[in-house]
Amino acid sequence: MTLTPHLASDSAACCWIPLFALRTELARRPELASLPVALVAPDTTRTPRVWQVAPLARRAGVKPGMTVSQAIGLCPALKLCEPDPVHYDEQFSRLVAALVTVSPVVEPVELGRAYVGTDGLERLYGSPQQIVEEIQMRSAECGMRNFSERSFAPQTSHVHSALRIPHSALRIGWGRGKFVSWVAATRAKPGEAVIVPVGGEAKFLASQPLAVLPLDPDTHRRLLQLGVKTLGALVALPEEAVVSQFGRAGRRLWRLAVGRVAPEPIVAALTFFTPVGERDLLAHALDKLVDRALGDPRRSGWRVQVVRVRAELEHGASWLVTATLKDPSATRERIAAPLKTQLERSPPAGAVERLVVEFTAFAPGTAELQLFARDASAAARAGRRRALQSAAREIALRIKRPMLYHVIEVQPWSRLPERRYALIDFEA
Amino acid sequence: MRNGTDRLRALNAPQRVRVELDEQRRPRVVKREAGNEKRVESFGENWRMDDEWWRQPIVRRYVEVVLEGGGRVVLFEDLMTGEWFAQMPA
Repeated sequence: MTLTPHLASDSAACCWIPLFALRTELARRPELASLPVALVAPDTTRTPRVWQVAPLARRAGVKPGMTVSQAIGLCPALKLCEPDPVHYDEQFSRLVAALVTVSPVVEPVELGRAYVGTDGLERLYGSPQQIVEEIQMRSAECGMRNFSERSFAPQTSHVHSALRIPHSALRIGWGRGKFVSWVAATRAKPGEAVIVPVGGEAKFLASQPLAVLPLDPDTHRRLLQLGVKTLGALVALPEEAVVSQFGRAGRRLWRLAVGRVAPEPIVAALTFFTPVGERDLLAHALDKLVDRALGDPRRSGWRVQVVRVRAELEHGASWLVTATLKDPSATRERIAAPLKTQLERSPPAGAVERLVVEFTAFAPGTAELQLFARDASAAARAGRRRALQSAAREIALRIKRPMLYHVIEVQPWSRLPERRYALIDFEA
Repeated sequence: MRNGTDRLRALNAPQRVRVELDEQRRPRVVKREAGNEKRVESFGENWRMDDEWWRQPIVRRYVEVVLEGGGRVVLFEDLMTGEWFAQMPA
């Protein structure tokens, strides 16, 4: 069996240019730099809303998400710019292309933010500091216009010089794992880097404010009311106490604050049109379900440790198999193999009406690290999925019912054409 | 917890149609539920399928036809109920 080589990394450099789209726009139209400027959101359908706001406009009270009329009410001099997403993408692609020359493991997350896997680069460049310097140098040489903090300066002459001088607004955070590197990047000054030494993650995170966590405003307020202001204070609480207060989201936040968070169980299920007893067909269905579960974006960054298969049989009986992988894996063949062995040794006692595959425990990457989408195609898939999810949400909002589906194989071997393929809701 | 969806909708589900048969019991006219009515221009292959005899038998007589206007469809007669259905050709 040949396995696809995975590109992966445990240590990461988070490269971040805040307000990327706005900076790109100002780099193209420097005459706007001394004005209170805001970009209009590209995806607003009915009421135009403000997307990114320059500091001068922010000082006047304009905030992202406001309607354009609210923003103009607060700041009559506001200069609104229509967005040019294609141009922003092009500029960001140049940055990503430059990062790829430093490391083969690059994961763009959003406009202006990308992670670079840095495992193994020490032999090429040296210490994390030197790796970061290499990233800074390549990004400065990439041909993308440099986005100085001074591009927001009120004096035009400074603006012009700042656009030419390679004084980048790129902030870099280096650390073990994406979360640590992201938090480090948010702490970095423009054009500089923050490096979190290996082993120093807990100390570094402990002093960070709660705002670095993906919190909703209500949870943030409640935590502050409880006197929890930093990640250190959150971690000091027993995990169970946080879970009892904030539920599943609390568990995730607590684990994120500690430094790692495993995904919740991932389930893929299939209800057959008619009960299936043939083992070949069940094995085929198993493969398909394992593939579907592996494709769940929450699985990204984790290998599967424990997998469970449940089957609901005719006449109300059931069948259950659990496999713990000695070597956690993210490949379908390795995950499905022990399940198929069990299927041969102790098959279900009757025909299967519904088959469910569940990944219940995960392991972070070591041999085949999953902290990043491991290759370009995986990153592209993740991007397409995000775009689809956004479209699905919009359709669901407008039409009030799901209108986007996956086509899946159900019983492709069936002699009845209507049983071979089916549509399944695309879940946003 | 169920976070994997399993609400399946069959693709190429048979559409009930009404047919007029000729003397050889072959469809001559096909009337869809929507009301439009089309004559059969020519016949392709025909075959019979027996399945699931151990459960609820499925017995179908298929015939591939080209309708006036050029549409190619597969019609089948459910021999258990005598009803006719149309499906897209595979």
